[in-house]
Amino acid sequence: MNETPRQTRARVILLVDDDPDFLEVSRHVLEGAGYQVLCAASQEDAMAKARESGPDLLITDLMMTSLDSGFALAQQMKRGPEFRGIPVIMTTGITARMGLDFTPRTEDDLEAMHVDAYFEKPVDPALLLAKVDKLLTSPREEDTK
Amino acid sequence: MSTEMPRILVVDDEPGMREGCRRILESEGYHVQTAEDGLAAIELFQARGDFAAALVDLKMPRMDGIELIERIRKIDEDVTALVMTAYATIETAVQATKQGAYGYIPKPFTPDELLIPVKNGLDMRALSIEARQLREERERQLLEVASERSKCRTIINCMSDGVLVVNRSNQVVLRNAAAGLILPKCDSADLPADSSTLACPELQDLIEDTLASGPEPVIHSREIALGGTPYMVNASPILERHQQATGAVAVLRDITALKELETAKSMFVSMVAHEVKSPLGAIEGYLNVLLSGIAGDDPDQHRKMLERSLLRARALGAMVSELLNLTAMRTGNFVIKRVPLDLLDLVATTTESCREQADKKEQALSFSCALTVRNHDVLADKAAMSMVFKNLIDNAIKYTPAKGHIAVRVDYDRAYVNVTVEDDGIGMTPEDTDRAFDEFFRAKNDKTAGIPGTGLGLTLVKTLVETHHGRISVQSAPGEGTAFTVSLPIAE
Repeated sequence: MNETPRQTRARVILLVDDDPDFLEVSRHVLEGAGYQVLCAASQEDAMAKARESGPDLLITDLMMTSLDSGFALAQQMKRGPEFRGIPVIMTTGITARMGLDFTPRTEDDLEAMHVDAYFEKPVDPALLLAKVDKLLTSPREEDTK
Repeated sequence: MSTEMPRILVVDDEPGMREGCRRILESEGYHVQTAEDGLAAIELFQARGDFAAALVDLKMPRMDGIELIERIRKIDEDVTALVMTAYATIETAVQATKQGAYGYIPKPFTPDELLIPVKNGLDMRALSIEARQLREERERQLLEVASERSKCRTIINCMSDGVLVVNRSNQVVLRNAAAGLILPKCDSADLPADSSTLACPELQDLIEDTLASGPEPVIHSREIALGGTPYMVNASPILERHQQATGAVAVLRDITALKELETAKSMFVSMVAHEVKSPLGAIEGYLNVLLSGIAGDDPDQHRKMLERSLLRARALGAMVSELLNLTAMRTGNFVIKRVPLDLLDLVATTTESCREQADKKEQALSFSCALTVRNHDVLADKAAMSMVFKNLIDNAIKYTPAKGHIAVRVDYDRAYVNVTVEDDGIGMTPEDTDRAFDEFFRAKNDKTAGIPGTGLGLTLVKTLVETHHGRISVQSAPGEGTAFTVSLPIAE
């Protein structure tokens, strides 16, 4: 459905995080790989920018204004008709050792979270790029469902 | 009883009889007084009243012996009255004893015939006095026991912890008011009640384990949720002379507050970890980008990234110091150097240092001073005081929406300088206001969501103010704003 030929324009990635430095670093990583990057600092900001530009992929932080802002955003994206086919990558600084373990262990966990991939911060740039690449090239099961 | 010999009153209208009796009685060591008739006798009784015995002639002018006995026994019921008469008849004897006379001595009598009934009567009197004293003593003790019991009952009933006592047959035999509230089903049952009325298998198990425990006094503890509230139940066997338990007593304590504190503490650790990880992640990210060449060749770009890294590293350092400060203060290792300090100057400077922050939210930050005395120095540590007012103004900025107002005012009353930081921000509920200074406490609602903080700032402020013999108070209402006032004693 969102399959535009790669050559015609750079893929647009919407990057959401309340930490400006994380946005800055990730932007460099993604732009360096040839993607076009849009930055947003909150769930509301992200939805507005998504409607404006129709991104091909979303990378969002989990804990922003509230503990689960990232989940709320992912859910909002996947439930609406406009962006349901867009892959979502969740990043977070929360780890199991902090007593809050959101790390998905199975594909079902990911689906329940409305997330296609999950990374603990800090994210290794190479791993992030590999994942982004994979999500944008391979047709995902969800699209065919 | 007194070791002194008893006093005896002899009442007879015949002087010969009076003197005869006196001699006989005094020969035995008794103290004797005499009266010639009933009225004189009563006067003597009323004047001294400590006669152990009265020997009374039956036939006397003005007042006969029976009436006299009746009257003196009204004055002193313990007195041993003996009737002496020449008209010894059964009727008079009966009548006299009805009036309370102990005995009856027919005239004429030999010294022994007088002394023996007197001695017997006095012994009888001593016995009856002793018996009465014993009775009184016993009654008093019973009263004490009764009040001791009711005291115990009252104390147990007033305890905020629930108390349950179960007998050897596993029946509830005592429950206090708090236990009744915690276990409503047991509360409505008549005592002794079967332990099933506790309606809590965990609690029943605990009590059974306790009853089954050996002669060693062991406390069985378990955390049990009752009606959605966590309780720590401590049960101990009731042991008599190292026998098997004759029952068990269980104390139920509501540990909601402890649990909340525990949760708050682990939340705090998680939050600190998150707050530490964020800047570290940012710094690592920049370094990664720079080292891998992704950042490109623009030296300005590199410089910007390094500057951001430095900023994040410094912020992280500042946060770590705040944590260390609080820990040091808690353990008494925080060094405070109290010097004469111009508080007005310090508060003004601190307010200015926060202006940029307030400007970002387009807030009006004002400073005013109503000090009229020349000397308004306080004895305080400069760094500590900066921390106090910086924290209060930071909070006001954080918890006041954009375009709000923050006023910092300095005034004084007699011995104190008062600094008030007032805002028209989101305010706090009375419950949150009460806990505002509690360690780890942060007001949680949709307005505070996303506002960063450690829940330690106000704890730190209060500890610092109190270390300086000052006090801090807070007034707040939701939607109206908050005012913190710090009062510090003016240096002599």
